[in-house]
Amino acid sequence: MNGHVKNMHFQQFMETAATLLSLLLLMTVDSTKTVALSTNQQCGTLLQQTLKITRIVHKESGDLIKTYKAAQGEMSELFCKVSVNDIPDPNISGLDPPARIASIYTHLQAFLPHFKRVYKQQTDLQSPGSPLLKELTRVWGRTESLASFMNTFYQSLFPNLPIPEPAGGPTTLPPAQNVFQQKVYGCVVLKTYKDFMSNVSKELRILKSKVCMKRTPINAF
Amino acid sequence: MVSAAVLHLWVLAWLASVLAADRPEKPKNLSCIAVQESETISSNIKCQWEAVGHQTEAVPTNYTLFIRQTGDKIYTASILGPVNKTTVDLNLFPHHMELEIWVVAQNELGKEESEHLIKLANCFVKTKPPSVAVISEAVFPTSLVMSWNSSIDKRYLETIYEIRFCPLGSQKWFYVPLADTSRYIQSFRLQNLQPDTVYVTQVRCKYNNNNKHCGYWSDWSSNVTERTPEDLPKSKPDVWIITSEEGLNKRQIEFICKDPEFSNGRIRRFNITIEKQKDSIRNGTWEIIPVNRSLTDGSSSKKQITPLKTITLDDEESVTVYVTAINSVGASPQAKLIISRKTREPPAVEKTEVQSHNGQLFLSWKPPNRTVSEYVVEWVSDGERNWQRENGKKNYTAIKGDLKQFVQYRISVYPIYGKLVGKPVLERAYFEQGVPSQGPIVNLSGDPGCYTAKLEWDEIPLIKRRGFITNYTIYYRSGTETRGITVPANTTSYTLTSLSRNTKYDIWIKASTIRGSVNGSNHSFTTLKYAPGEIEGIVVGVSLGFLFVVLMTMLLCFCKKDVIKDNFWPQIPNPGDSTIGNWSPDYPLKAEAPRENCLSGISVLNVDVCDAKCVFEEDKASLPLKKDKYLSEEHSSGIGGSSCMSSPRQSVSDSDEGGDMADTTASTIQYSSVVASSGYKGQNPSSLPQQSIFSRSESTQPLLDCEENHDTMVQEGSRQCFLRQPCFTHNAGNENATDSNDFNPLEMKQQEVLDFCPLEEDTEHTAPADCQSDDWIPAPVSSYMPQLGGYRPQ
Repeated sequence: MNGHVKNMHFQQFMETAATLLSLLLLMTVDSTKTVALSTNQQCGTLLQQTLKITRIVHKESGDLIKTYKAAQGEMSELFCKVSVNDIPDPNISGLDPPARIASIYTHLQAFLPHFKRVYKQQTDLQSPGSPLLKELTRVWGRTESLASFMNTFYQSLFPNLPIPEPAGGPTTLPPAQNVFQQKVYGCVVLKTYKDFMSNVSKELRILKSKVCMKRTPINAF
Repeated sequence: MVSAAVLHLWVLAWLASVLAADRPEKPKNLSCIAVQESETISSNIKCQWEAVGHQTEAVPTNYTLFIRQTGDKIYTASILGPVNKTTVDLNLFPHHMELEIWVVAQNELGKEESEHLIKLANCFVKTKPPSVAVISEAVFPTSLVMSWNSSIDKRYLETIYEIRFCPLGSQKWFYVPLADTSRYIQSFRLQNLQPDTVYVTQVRCKYNNNNKHCGYWSDWSSNVTERTPEDLPKSKPDVWIITSEEGLNKRQIEFICKDPEFSNGRIRRFNITIEKQKDSIRNGTWEIIPVNRSLTDGSSSKKQITPLKTITLDDEESVTVYVTAINSVGASPQAKLIISRKTREPPAVEKTEVQSHNGQLFLSWKPPNRTVSEYVVEWVSDGERNWQRENGKKNYTAIKGDLKQFVQYRISVYPIYGKLVGKPVLERAYFEQGVPSQGPIVNLSGDPGCYTAKLEWDEIPLIKRRGFITNYTIYYRSGTETRGITVPANTTSYTLTSLSRNTKYDIWIKASTIRGSVNGSNHSFTTLKYAPGEIEGIVVGVSLGFLFVVLMTMLLCFCKKDVIKDNFWPQIPNPGDSTIGNWSPDYPLKAEAPRENCLSGISVLNVDVCDAKCVFEEDKASLPLKKDKYLSEEHSSGIGGSSCMSSPRQSVSDSDEGGDMADTTASTIQYSSVVASSGYKGQNPSSLPQQSIFSRSESTQPLLDCEENHDTMVQEGSRQCFLRQPCFTHNAGNENATDSNDFNPLEMKQQEVLDFCPLEEDTEHTAPADCQSDDWIPAPVSSYMPQLGGYRPQ
């Protein structure tokens, strides 16, 4: 047997090995793709659920504003145009998806004390069976559920990133107010909340393509 | 030791089994539902499960329902068994969030947990049905557009839909394929509908979970109806005819029409034109027949029949009719029908048969030899007429109309050759037969007889017949006996025979069909006691018989009057008329033949002055005596008849009746006979003494003294005269006949005719000198002679 034949055997061996390695590599990449797809499916589902809940809350907040204005009497349209301090910002902050999702979560948490105060004030101003109170309760509860859901969504997407708490400690509420101020305050809170929910809906639609690599069904939105 | 251990183990095992029997078992078939309230879903979610296992009051089982929401929020509700359902308030229905639900059964002995139900919260939702609206578009007569509003905002849950529709009045729903509506839509177009038809539509909805089975269908929405627009008629009108005879060689034909099968709208009028075959060209004149009909919905299956036109047609004429139907959109295709000449009518079908089976009436027939394009099956009853068309290759069909029970239908099959109507064949049938509602009314035809009665009845009216009569049964009852006679169905009269006279009968008739029988009304009659003319016959017969008897009796009486007379009124000789002859015992008694003219004997007859008509025939001629009328009386003197020489002698009377000698003498008792001597006869005194023989009868009467002394005193030639006695009716022995003053001279004169045998005339009137007086008759010298002959016993 000569060296040329030995070289040929080696070359054949190398070719076979390369082929096998390529196949293995392909299988590995495919498996990671599958894993990634699986993660994206869950991501998409969670994101879709979050988006749907957000839309509900957005709808209910819009209905709430109408109900609130109708319950405040004359000049209620002007109430929402007044500027009030210490109301959470309706805009979402953060540069990357985790930060923005976290911002959504913290904003939701920040609105909860305001909802509580408005509810308390309107309890004094409205009759016990007023639909405003019922809707306030509903929106308040939805916000809590949405916050909880956002938390779950964040942790499922970013299990290694702790979700940040609202900055600056607990939410700061305005001081005691008179009736007019209460009415104004309530209107501003609810309007701001509605704007915030609108921003959340938009944000989630944007995040969907960024966070979850999944083709959304036609009737998903 | 070993046995104790075994015993322990056994006890433990038993205890374990006992205890295990009371442990709660795993609840099964857990299901939950949350229903919509107003515009949102209720926060209350109601769950139920199947409680399995034995439950006792001693060891009650407690069920706790757990609902975990996304975010680890858990809601619970507990309830004590055996109740197996409960409701949990979630404060806010967690749309789009996942719920985990399970129930735990627990008692003192342990607890069991059901399977966890993990679903999206919306999968437990049952919404309200959507509100539906339907519109029609004139440009699409076969389509309806449905639109609806979901009962809940799609942000809470998106729904899929299910649609169904049916023509008004129909019970059969048509479902739109689920694939066409399994998405969040709010309108749908129904297609391939019938124009001018009212449809009923419904919609329901359910949570759409990306085509996964989830959630509960809502209830169907309330009915929404809409009529599709009209369209051009797509089929020809159904033209038919009603033929009836009108006079000689003429027929009346009425053209009738049903709406086209695909009218696609309300037919407002028909256009008809009739073309007679003799016309070479078609005149093209269309006649408009308006349709006055109320708006009917399209779901009505029964098409109304419109009369078009009636014409009179000769049997030798043939016509062609063209008909079109017009609705609001336009005219239908043209229908054509040809009525041929009666003599050239195409052949009919054969062997038609009608049967009722499985709630339908089936008709079959044998096709004719010619090619048939189609058949028309017509059924007619009182007030109803309809028909249907069948393919020319068929030979049987089922009547498709709404046939009524107990109504007789006249079913005809017409073969249609091209457009030419053939000869029909008629069958009568019932869709369903029943018992007649009325029985036959029976009456007597004329008067009943003694033994027969003729009954007659009319057929039950068709409307009450309710079936084909199979037979009639005639019942007639007298007293307690009832008899029945069955007669064929085509009978309407019957004569009852073998009846009893003068008997009351109750009669009634039972009519029978295959379903049963019904009795008709009762009728009573009484048979005659006597047949017509019977009484007259009896009377006449009896009268004739009586008359005959009377006549015969009279005849008999007349013929046997003498006998009768003799028997009932026997002649008793009048002793006053008797004479006593000479008694001469010296002379032998010899019988002398009676001579005709001799006064051979005296037959003392019971001849009264006014009686005695007995005349001997043979002596009649020789009777020289006066034939004065001598009427004999009925009474008798009791003296028997006399005989002329023992021969009976008939007394002279005016009567020529004569009579039987025997009869006359039979009626008299020969008492004595006097044999006259010659002296008597001659009436002339004779020189020679003549011997007279005195005969006397065998009478038992005692002799008179003079008679006794006659034997000695009376000599020859002596003559005696005796007084002609008038007749004494009852006193034969009245010897005092000499008292002539007691006698009627007339009677005596009359009596002269009698009592003596006829003498010669010249001697008769010769009286002895000493007997010249008319009262005295010379008595012949006679002697007693035995009676010889002439005596006829009674």
